Amino acid sequence: MTYRHQEEMSPPPARRVTDVAITRFEHVYEVEPALMTEHVTQQSFPNWDTLRLVRSRADHLAWMHRHFAGKVISGEELLHDLDE
Amino acid sequence: MPDPDERPEKEFAEEWRDAAYNCFSSGHKFCREVCPVMQVTRNESWSPTAFHANVVAMEKGELEVADVAADYVNCTGCGACEVRCPNSLFTGDFYRFRTRTVDLVKAVRGLAVEQGVHQPGWRRWNQLTDERRHEPVLDGTPVDQGRVRDWAEGLELPIGGESILFVDCEAAFVRTSVPRSVARILSLAGYEFGLMNEQWCCGGPAAEMGYDEQARRFARHNLDDWRAAGVRRVLVLDPHDYITFTEDYPRYFGDAYDIEIVLVVELLAELIREGRLTPHVPVERTVTYHDPCRLNKRKGVWREPREILRAIPGLTFHDVDRVSQWSYCSGGGGGLPVEKPELTAKISEQRVGKAAELGVDTLVSACPWAERPLSDAGRARSIDVVDLHELLAESLGVSP
Repeated sequence: MTYRHQEEMSPPPARRVTDVAITRFEHVYEVEPALMTEHVTQQSFPNWDTLRLVRSRADHLAWMHRHFAGKVISGEELLHDLDE
Repeated sequence: MPDPDERPEKEFAEEWRDAAYNCFSSGHKFCREVCPVMQVTRNESWSPTAFHANVVAMEKGELEVADVAADYVNCTGCGACEVRCPNSLFTGDFYRFRTRTVDLVKAVRGLAVEQGVHQPGWRRWNQLTDERRHEPVLDGTPVDQGRVRDWAEGLELPIGGESILFVDCEAAFVRTSVPRSVARILSLAGYEFGLMNEQWCCGGPAAEMGYDEQARRFARHNLDDWRAAGVRRVLVLDPHDYITFTEDYPRYFGDAYDIEIVLVVELLAELIREGRLTPHVPVERTVTYHDPCRLNKRKGVWREPREILRAIPGLTFHDVDRVSQWSYCSGGGGGLPVEKPELTAKISEQRVGKAAELGVDTLVSACPWAERPLSDAGRARSIDVVDLHELLAESLGVSP
Protein backbone atom coordinates (compact mmCIF):
# COMPACT_ATOMS: atom_id res chain seq x y z
CA MET A 1 0.00 0.00 0.00
CA THR A 2 1.24 3.42 -0.86
CA TYR A 3 0.71 5.85 1.98
CA ARG A 4 -0.71 9.20 0.93
CA HIS A 5 -1.63 11.38 3.88
CA GLN A 6 -4.54 13.24 2.30
CA GLU A 7 -6.16 10.00 1.13
CA GLU A 8 -5.68 8.28 4.48
CA MET A 9 -7.31 11.14 6.35
CA SER A 10 -10.28 11.30 3.98
CA PRO A 11 -12.68 8.48 4.90
CA PRO A 12 -15.42 7.48 2.47
CA PRO A 13 -18.71 9.34 3.02
CA ALA A 14 -20.79 8.01 5.89
CA ARG A 15 -24.13 6.28 5.31
CA ARG A 16 -26.60 6.09 8.20
CA VAL A 17 -27.53 2.58 9.31
CA THR A 18 -29.52 3.26 12.50
CA ASP A 19 -30.03 6.23 14.83
CA VAL A 20 -26.75 5.37 16.54
CA ALA A 21 -24.61 3.81 13.80
CA ILE A 22 -23.13 4.71 10.44
CA THR A 23 -21.05 2.84 7.86
CA ARG A 24 -18.19 4.02 5.65
CA PHE A 25 -16.59 0.75 4.52
CA GLU A 26 -18.52 -2.36 3.45
CA HIS A 27 -19.60 -4.44 6.48
CA VAL A 28 -17.83 -2.04 8.84
CA TYR A 29 -20.00 -0.13 11.29
CA GLU A 30 -19.18 2.88 13.45
CA VAL A 31 -20.93 4.62 16.26
CA GLU A 32 -22.67 7.87 15.32
CA PRO A 33 -19.82 10.39 15.80
CA ALA A 34 -22.17 12.91 17.48
CA LEU A 35 -22.39 10.50 20.42
CA MET A 36 -18.65 10.72 20.96
CA THR A 37 -18.30 14.43 21.62
CA GLU A 38 -18.94 14.81 25.32
CA HIS A 39 -17.32 12.22 27.59
CA VAL A 40 -14.82 10.44 25.32
CA THR A 41 -13.86 12.07 22.05
CA GLN A 42 -12.86 10.09 18.99
CA GLN A 43 -9.24 9.76 17.92
CA SER A 44 -7.71 10.70 14.60
CA PHE A 45 -8.18 7.51 12.62
CA PRO A 46 -6.56 7.09 9.19
CA ASN A 47 -8.30 4.67 6.85
CA TRP A 48 -5.49 2.13 7.05
CA ASP A 49 -5.96 1.82 10.80
CA THR A 50 -9.68 1.10 10.54
CA LEU A 51 -9.06 -1.57 7.92
CA ARG A 52 -6.12 -3.03 9.87
CA LEU A 53 -8.33 -3.59 12.91
CA VAL A 54 -11.17 -5.07 10.86
CA ARG A 55 -8.84 -7.51 9.09
CA SER A 56 -6.96 -8.35 12.30
CA ARG A 57 -10.29 -9.15 13.99
CA ALA A 58 -11.27 -11.52 11.18
CA ASP A 59 -7.85 -13.18 11.25
CA HIS A 60 -7.99 -13.50 15.03
CA LEU A 61 -11.47 -15.03 15.04
CA ALA A 62 -10.43 -17.52 12.34
CA TRP A 63 -7.35 -18.34 14.42
CA MET A 64 -9.50 -18.91 17.50
CA HIS A 65 -11.76 -21.24 15.54
CA ARG A 66 -8.80 -23.18 14.16
CA HIS A 67 -7.29 -23.61 17.61
CA PHE A 68 -10.23 -23.98 19.95
CA ALA A 69 -13.50 -24.75 18.13
CA GLY A 70 -14.48 -28.41 17.72
CA LYS A 71 -17.47 -27.33 15.67
CA VAL A 72 -19.36 -24.13 14.91
CA ILE A 73 -23.07 -23.97 15.74
CA SER A 74 -25.59 -21.22 15.18
CA GLY A 75 -27.25 -19.12 17.86
CA GLU A 76 -30.55 -20.68 16.84
CA GLU A 77 -29.23 -24.14 17.68
CA LEU A 78 -27.97 -22.90 21.03
CA LEU A 79 -31.40 -21.48 21.90
CA HIS A 80 -33.04 -24.71 20.82
CA ASP A 81 -30.75 -26.68 23.15
CA LEU A 82 -31.60 -24.34 26.03
CA ASP A 83 -35.33 -24.76 25.44
CA GLU A 84 -35.11 -28.53 25.67
CA MET B 1 5.09 24.10 47.42
CA PRO B 2 4.01 23.93 43.75
CA ASP B 3 0.32 24.18 42.95
CA PRO B 4 -0.84 20.54 42.42
CA ASP B 5 -2.98 21.64 39.49
CA GLU B 6 0.11 23.03 37.72
CA ARG B 7 2.08 19.78 37.86
CA PRO B 8 3.19 18.64 34.39
CA GLU B 9 1.89 15.17 35.27
CA LYS B 10 -1.57 16.65 35.81
CA GLU B 11 -1.58 18.26 32.38
CA PHE B 12 -0.22 15.05 30.88
CA ALA B 13 -2.92 12.97 32.57
CA GLU B 14 -5.63 15.23 31.18
CA GLU B 15 -4.58 14.21 27.68
CA TRP B 16 -4.23 10.52 28.47
CA ARG B 17 -6.89 9.90 31.14
CA ASP B 18 -9.55 8.50 28.78
CA ALA B 19 -7.10 5.98 27.38
CA ALA B 20 -5.85 5.14 30.86
CA TYR B 21 -9.32 4.53 32.30
CA ASN B 22 -10.33 2.62 29.17
CA CYS B 23 -7.56 0.16 30.02
CA PHE B 24 -7.67 0.32 33.81
CA SER B 25 -11.44 -0.16 34.09
CA SER B 26 -11.47 -3.06 31.62
CA GLY B 27 -8.76 -5.03 33.32
CA HIS B 28 -8.86 -7.97 30.92
CA LYS B 29 -5.07 -7.92 30.46
CA PHE B 30 -4.90 -9.95 27.27
CA CYS B 31 -1.88 -7.75 26.58
CA ARG B 32 0.25 -9.49 29.20
CA GLU B 33 0.78 -12.76 27.37
CA VAL B 34 1.58 -11.21 23.98
CA CYS B 35 3.99 -8.65 25.44
CA PRO B 36 7.58 -9.80 24.78
CA VAL B 37 8.96 -8.04 27.86
CA MET B 38 6.33 -9.61 30.11
CA GLN B 39 7.06 -13.04 28.64
CA VAL B 40 10.70 -12.95 29.70
CA THR B 41 10.46 -10.93 32.94
CA ARG B 42 6.98 -11.50 34.46
CA ASN B 43 7.36 -8.04 35.96
CA GLU B 44 3.87 -6.57 36.40
CA SER B 45 5.27 -3.03 36.67
CA TRP B 46 6.40 -3.38 33.07
CA SER B 47 3.08 -4.51 31.66
CA PRO B 48 0.97 -2.43 29.26
CA THR B 49 -1.73 -2.35 31.96
CA ALA B 50 0.70 -0.87 34.47
CA PHE B 51 1.75 1.77 31.94
CA HIS B 52 -1.88 2.92 31.81
CA ALA B 53 -2.53 2.55 35.54
CA ASN B 54 0.35 4.91 36.24
CA VAL B 55 -1.53 7.66 34.38
CA VAL B 56 -4.50 7.18 36.72
CA ALA B 57 -2.09 7.55 39.66
CA MET B 58 -0.51 10.64 38.09
CA GLU B 59 -3.91 12.25 37.71
CA LYS B 60 -4.64 11.63 41.37
CA GLY B 61 -1.29 13.10 42.42
CA GLU B 62 0.06 9.78 43.65
CA LEU B 63 2.97 9.58 41.19
CA GLU B 64 5.49 11.81 39.51
CA VAL B 65 7.07 10.84 36.22
CA ALA B 66 10.46 10.48 37.92
CA ASP B 67 9.00 7.65 40.02
CA VAL B 68 8.18 5.50 37.01
CA ALA B 69 10.30 6.73 34.07
CA ALA B 70 12.65 3.74 34.30
CA ASP B 71 9.72 1.32 34.04
CA TYR B 72 8.82 2.74 30.64
CA VAL B 73 12.18 1.61 29.24
CA ASN B 74 10.74 -1.90 29.17
CA CYS B 75 8.80 -1.72 25.93
CA THR B 76 9.91 -2.62 22.41
CA GLY B 77 7.07 -0.69 20.79
CA CYS B 78 5.99 -3.86 19.02
CA GLY B 79 2.27 -3.07 19.27
CA ALA B 80 1.18 -6.56 20.33
CA CYS B 81 -0.66 -5.20 23.37
CA GLU B 82 -2.55 -2.75 21.18
CA VAL B 83 -3.77 -5.16 18.55
CA ARG B 84 -4.60 -7.93 21.06
CA CYS B 85 -6.49 -5.57 23.36
CA PRO B 86 -10.23 -6.15 22.91
CA ASN B 87 -10.66 -2.37 23.10
CA SER B 88 -8.82 -2.23 19.77
CA LEU B 89 -9.54 -5.61 18.22
CA PHE B 90 -13.28 -5.75 18.86
CA THR B 91 -14.38 -2.16 19.33
CA GLY B 92 -11.57 0.15 18.19
CA ASP B 93 -12.85 0.72 14.67
CA PHE B 94 -16.47 0.99 15.89
CA TYR B 95 -15.77 3.80 18.35
CA ARG B 96 -12.77 5.23 16.48
CA PHE B 97 -10.99 4.95 19.77
CA ARG B 98 -8.39 2.25 20.27
CA THR B 99 -5.67 1.34 22.74
CA ARG B 100 -2.49 3.29 22.04
CA THR B 101 0.10 1.91 24.44
CA VAL B 102 2.99 2.60 22.08
CA ASP B 103 2.07 6.28 21.84
CA LEU B 104 1.54 6.43 25.60
CA VAL B 105 4.97 4.93 26.29
CA LYS B 106 6.57 7.43 23.90
CA ALA B 107 4.65 10.27 25.55
CA VAL B 108 5.76 9.29 29.07
CA ARG B 109 9.34 9.01 27.87
CA GLY B 110 8.97 12.48 26.34
CA LEU B 111 7.53 13.87 29.57
CA ALA B 112 10.46 12.39 31.49
CA VAL B 113 13.02 14.02 29.19
CA GLU B 114 11.15 17.33 29.47
CA GLN B 115 11.42 17.03 33.25
CA GLY B 116 15.14 16.31 33.05
CA VAL B 117 14.75 12.61 33.84
CA HIS B 118 17.10 10.79 31.46
CA GLN B 119 18.06 7.17 30.92
CA PRO B 120 21.86 7.24 30.58
CA GLY B 121 22.10 5.00 27.52
CA TRP B 122 19.37 6.82 25.64
CA ARG B 123 20.77 10.22 26.50
CA ARG B 124 24.19 9.26 25.11
CA TRP B 125 22.69 7.53 22.05
CA ASN B 126 20.66 10.59 21.08
CA GLN B 127 23.49 12.98 21.83
CA LEU B 128 25.73 11.04 19.42
CA THR B 129 22.92 10.85 16.86
CA ASP B 130 22.50 14.61 17.09
CA GLU B 131 26.23 15.17 16.58
CA ARG B 132 26.65 12.68 13.72
CA ARG B 133 23.17 12.91 12.13
CA HIS B 134 22.97 9.11 12.30
CA GLU B 135 22.60 6.58 15.08
CA PRO B 136 25.88 5.28 16.57
CA VAL B 137 25.32 1.78 15.24
CA LEU B 138 28.96 0.84 14.70
CA ASP B 139 29.88 -0.05 18.28
CA GLY B 140 32.46 2.64 18.84
CA THR B 141 33.40 3.43 15.25
CA PRO B 142 31.87 6.84 14.54
CA VAL B 143 29.26 6.98 11.83
CA ASP B 144 29.85 9.81 9.46
CA GLN B 145 27.59 11.94 7.26
CA GLY B 146 30.17 11.65 4.51
CA ARG B 147 29.79 7.86 4.48
CA VAL B 148 26.00 7.57 4.54
CA ARG B 149 25.93 6.57 0.86
CA ASP B 150 28.99 4.29 0.96
CA TRP B 151 26.71 1.24 0.89
CA ALA B 152 25.80 2.18 -2.70
CA GLU B 153 29.36 2.29 -3.98
CA GLY B 154 29.63 1.01 -7.54
CA LEU B 155 25.85 0.88 -8.08
CA GLU B 156 25.84 4.20 -9.93
CA LEU B 157 22.58 5.40 -8.48
CA PRO B 158 21.57 9.01 -9.18
CA ILE B 159 21.00 11.58 -6.46
CA GLY B 160 17.42 12.86 -6.27
CA GLY B 161 14.62 12.19 -8.73
CA GLU B 162 10.89 11.63 -8.28
CA SER B 163 11.44 8.46 -6.22
CA ILE B 164 14.24 7.97 -3.72
CA LEU B 165 15.30 5.03 -1.55
CA PHE B 166 15.63 5.90 2.15
CA VAL B 167 18.04 3.61 4.00
CA ASP B 168 17.91 3.40 7.79
CA CYS B 169 21.04 3.84 9.92
CA GLU B 170 21.51 0.12 10.66
CA ALA B 171 21.24 -0.85 6.99
CA ALA B 172 23.32 2.11 5.74
CA PHE B 173 26.27 1.46 8.04
CA VAL B 174 26.02 -2.18 9.22
CA ARG B 175 23.64 -4.34 7.16
CA THR B 176 24.81 -2.82 3.88
CA SER B 177 24.04 -5.95 1.86
CA VAL B 178 20.32 -5.31 2.47
CA PRO B 179 20.07 -1.93 0.70
CA ARG B 180 22.46 -3.15 -1.99
CA SER B 181 20.15 -6.11 -2.62
CA VAL B 182 17.12 -3.82 -2.79
CA ALA B 183 18.88 -1.47 -5.20
CA ARG B 184 19.98 -4.34 -7.44
CA ILE B 185 16.47 -5.83 -7.50
CA LEU B 186 14.76 -2.54 -8.31
CA SER B 187 17.28 -1.85 -11.08
CA LEU B 188 16.68 -5.33 -12.50
CA ALA B 189 12.95 -4.59 -12.63
CA GLY B 190 13.62 -1.28 -14.38
CA TYR B 191 12.21 0.73 -11.48
CA GLU B 192 13.75 4.21 -11.51
CA PHE B 193 14.90 5.67 -8.21
CA GLY B 194 17.67 7.74 -6.72
CA LEU B 195 19.23 8.50 -3.36
CA MET B 196 18.62 11.37 -1.00
CA ASN B 197 20.82 14.44 -1.25
CA GLU B 198 21.71 14.75 2.45
CA GLN B 199 20.04 11.95 4.38
CA TRP B 200 19.84 12.20 8.15
CA CYS B 201 18.44 9.63 10.57
CA CYS B 202 14.65 9.55 10.18
CA GLY B 203 14.27 10.80 13.78
CA GLY B 204 12.09 7.86 14.77
CA PRO B 205 14.46 6.45 17.39
CA ALA B 206 14.74 9.86 19.09
CA ALA B 207 10.94 10.07 19.16
CA GLU B 208 10.73 6.56 20.63
CA MET B 209 13.19 7.43 23.42
CA GLY B 210 11.49 10.71 24.31
CA TYR B 211 13.74 13.22 22.55
CA ASP B 212 10.90 14.90 20.70
CA GLU B 213 12.58 18.17 19.73
CA GLN B 214 15.44 16.29 18.11
CA ALA B 215 13.05 13.93 16.32
CA ARG B 216 11.12 16.85 14.85
CA ARG B 217 14.29 18.67 13.84
CA PHE B 218 15.56 15.62 11.96
CA ALA B 219 12.18 15.11 10.32
CA ARG B 220 12.12 18.75 9.23
CA HIS B 221 15.55 18.39 7.66
CA ASN B 222 14.59 15.26 5.72
CA LEU B 223 11.30 16.69 4.45
CA ASP B 224 13.03 19.92 3.37
CA ASP B 225 15.70 17.88 1.59
CA TRP B 226 13.07 15.85 -0.26
CA ARG B 227 11.20 18.96 -1.33
CA ALA B 228 14.34 20.76 -2.46
CA ALA B 229 15.16 17.83 -4.74
CA GLY B 230 11.63 17.50 -6.12
CA VAL B 231 11.09 14.11 -4.49
CA ARG B 232 7.48 12.88 -4.67
CA ARG B 233 7.90 9.31 -3.43
CA VAL B 234 10.07 7.72 -0.74
CA LEU B 235 10.79 3.97 -0.90
CA VAL B 236 11.34 2.48 2.54
CA LEU B 237 12.94 -0.88 3.25
CA ASP B 238 12.98 -0.65 7.06
CA PRO B 239 9.71 -1.22 8.98
CA HIS B 240 10.80 1.27 11.66
CA ASP B 241 11.26 4.01 9.07
CA TYR B 242 7.91 3.08 7.60
CA ILE B 243 6.25 3.75 10.96
CA THR B 244 8.11 7.05 11.34
CA PHE B 245 7.16 8.28 7.87
CA THR B 246 3.50 7.19 8.07
CA GLU B 247 2.75 8.03 11.71
CA ASP B 248 5.27 10.53 13.13
CA TYR B 249 5.78 12.76 10.08
CA PRO B 250 2.01 13.14 9.44
CA ARG B 251 1.64 14.22 13.06
CA TYR B 252 4.46 16.76 12.72
CA PHE B 253 3.46 18.23 9.36
CA GLY B 254 -0.29 17.62 9.05
CA ASP B 255 -1.94 18.30 5.70
CA ALA B 256 1.26 19.81 4.35
CA TYR B 257 2.77 16.31 4.28
CA ASP B 258 2.42 15.41 0.61
CA ILE B 259 5.11 12.75 0.12
CA GLU B 260 4.07 9.23 -0.93
CA ILE B 261 5.57 6.49 1.19
CA VAL B 262 6.08 3.07 -0.40
CA LEU B 263 7.10 -0.02 1.53
CA VAL B 264 9.71 -1.88 -0.52
CA VAL B 265 8.49 -5.36 0.43
CA GLU B 266 5.04 -4.52 -0.91
CA LEU B 267 6.53 -3.05 -4.07
CA LEU B 268 8.62 -6.18 -4.68
CA ALA B 269 5.60 -8.46 -4.24
CA GLU B 270 3.77 -6.34 -6.81
CA LEU B 271 6.68 -6.52 -9.26
CA ILE B 272 6.68 -10.32 -8.93
CA ARG B 273 2.90 -10.41 -9.48
CA GLU B 274 3.27 -8.28 -12.61
CA GLY B 275 5.98 -10.56 -13.96
CA ARG B 276 8.63 -7.85 -13.84
CA LEU B 277 10.66 -9.99 -11.43
CA THR B 278 10.89 -13.79 -11.69
CA PRO B 279 12.90 -15.58 -9.02
CA HIS B 280 14.50 -18.54 -10.79
CA VAL B 281 17.67 -19.55 -8.95
CA PRO B 282 16.77 -22.31 -6.46
CA VAL B 283 17.64 -21.51 -2.85
CA GLU B 284 17.94 -24.80 -0.97
CA ARG B 285 17.04 -23.80 2.56
CA THR B 286 14.41 -24.85 5.11
CA VAL B 287 13.04 -21.58 6.41
CA THR B 288 10.46 -19.93 8.58
CA TYR B 289 9.55 -16.26 8.44
CA HIS B 290 9.77 -13.78 11.31
CA ASP B 291 7.00 -11.20 10.98
CA PRO B 292 8.57 -7.84 11.88
CA CYS B 293 6.35 -6.38 14.61
CA ARG B 294 6.03 -3.02 12.91
CA LEU B 295 4.74 -4.65 9.72
CA ASN B 296 2.51 -7.40 11.07
CA LYS B 297 1.14 -6.05 14.34
CA ARG B 298 1.30 -2.32 13.72
CA LYS B 299 0.53 -2.14 10.00
CA GLY B 300 -1.18 -5.41 9.12
CA VAL B 301 1.44 -6.19 6.45
CA TRP B 302 2.06 -9.94 6.42
CA ARG B 303 0.84 -11.32 3.07
CA GLU B 304 3.45 -9.77 0.76
CA PRO B 305 6.56 -11.18 2.49
CA ARG B 306 4.99 -14.64 2.26
CA GLU B 307 4.15 -14.08 -1.41
CA ILE B 308 7.83 -13.34 -2.04
CA LEU B 309 9.00 -16.41 -0.12
CA ARG B 310 6.57 -18.67 -1.98
CA ALA B 311 7.87 -17.33 -5.30
CA ILE B 312 11.44 -18.43 -4.53
CA PRO B 313 12.17 -21.91 -5.91
CA GLY B 314 13.97 -24.46 -3.75
CA LEU B 315 12.77 -23.12 -0.40
CA THR B 316 11.02 -25.39 2.08
CA PHE B 317 8.83 -22.93 3.97
CA HIS B 318 7.43 -23.75 7.42
CA ASP B 319 5.09 -20.84 8.02
CA VAL B 320 3.73 -19.69 11.37
CA ASP B 321 0.57 -17.63 10.97
CA ARG B 322 0.44 -13.91 11.64
CA VAL B 323 -1.83 -14.15 14.69
CA SER B 324 0.46 -16.63 16.48
CA GLN B 325 3.27 -14.19 15.71
CA TRP B 326 1.55 -11.37 17.58
CA SER B 327 3.36 -12.79 20.61
CA TYR B 328 6.74 -13.04 18.80
CA CYS B 329 9.34 -10.27 18.80
CA SER B 330 13.09 -9.87 18.33
CA GLY B 331 13.37 -7.40 21.22
CA GLY B 332 15.25 -5.03 18.91
CA GLY B 333 12.84 -2.09 18.93
CA GLY B 334 11.86 0.88 21.05
CA GLY B 335 15.38 1.58 22.26
CA LEU B 336 15.41 -1.55 24.43
CA PRO B 337 18.76 -2.85 23.10
CA VAL B 338 20.39 0.46 24.01
CA GLU B 339 19.31 0.45 27.66
CA LYS B 340 18.73 -3.24 28.33
CA PRO B 341 20.59 -5.44 25.84
CA GLU B 342 20.17 -8.41 28.16
CA LEU B 343 16.39 -8.22 27.76
CA THR B 344 16.69 -7.92 23.98
CA ALA B 345 18.91 -11.02 24.00
CA LYS B 346 16.37 -12.99 26.04
CA ILE B 347 13.52 -12.02 23.73
CA SER B 348 15.56 -12.93 20.65
CA GLU B 349 16.58 -16.26 22.20
CA GLN B 350 12.92 -17.02 22.81
CA ARG B 351 12.03 -16.11 19.20
CA VAL B 352 14.80 -18.22 17.72
CA GLY B 353 13.71 -21.06 20.03
CA LYS B 354 10.30 -20.99 18.33
CA ALA B 355 12.05 -21.31 14.97
CA ALA B 356 14.17 -24.20 16.23
CA GLU B 357 11.02 -26.14 17.15
CA LEU B 358 10.13 -26.16 13.45
CA GLY B 359 13.40 -27.83 12.48
CA VAL B 360 14.46 -25.04 10.13
CA ASP B 361 18.00 -24.02 9.25
CA THR B 362 17.08 -20.40 8.41
CA LEU B 363 15.00 -17.65 9.97
CA VAL B 364 14.02 -15.05 7.38
CA SER B 365 13.41 -11.50 8.55
CA ALA B 366 12.42 -8.30 6.78
CA CYS B 367 13.73 -5.86 9.38
CA PRO B 368 17.39 -4.79 9.59
CA TRP B 369 16.98 -3.89 13.27
CA ALA B 370 15.76 -7.38 14.18
CA GLU B 371 18.56 -9.14 12.36
CA ARG B 372 21.42 -8.27 14.70
CA PRO B 373 19.87 -9.67 17.92
CA LEU B 374 18.25 -12.59 16.08
CA SER B 375 21.59 -13.48 14.45
CA ASP B 376 23.30 -13.45 17.84
CA ALA B 377 20.65 -15.82 19.20
CA GLY B 378 20.68 -17.92 16.02
CA ARG B 379 24.37 -18.72 16.27
CA ALA B 380 23.79 -20.70 19.47
CA ARG B 381 21.28 -22.91 17.64
CA SER B 382 22.99 -23.03 14.24
CA ILE B 383 20.12 -21.15 12.64
CA ASP B 384 21.03 -18.58 9.98
CA VAL B 385 19.17 -15.29 10.05
CA VAL B 386 18.74 -14.00 6.50
CA ASP B 387 17.07 -10.89 5.22
CA LEU B 388 14.14 -11.39 2.85
CA HIS B 389 15.46 -8.86 0.34
CA GLU B 390 18.83 -10.62 0.23
CA LEU B 391 17.16 -13.98 -0.26
CA LEU B 392 15.10 -12.62 -3.16
CA ALA B 393 18.20 -11.07 -4.73
CA GLU B 394 19.94 -14.46 -4.55
CA SER B 395 17.03 -16.14 -6.32
CA LEU B 396 16.98 -13.42 -8.96
CA GLY B 397 20.66 -14.03 -9.63
CA VAL B 398 21.80 -10.57 -8.56
CA SER B 399 24.48 -10.44 -5.91
CA PRO B 400 24.60 -7.50 -3.54
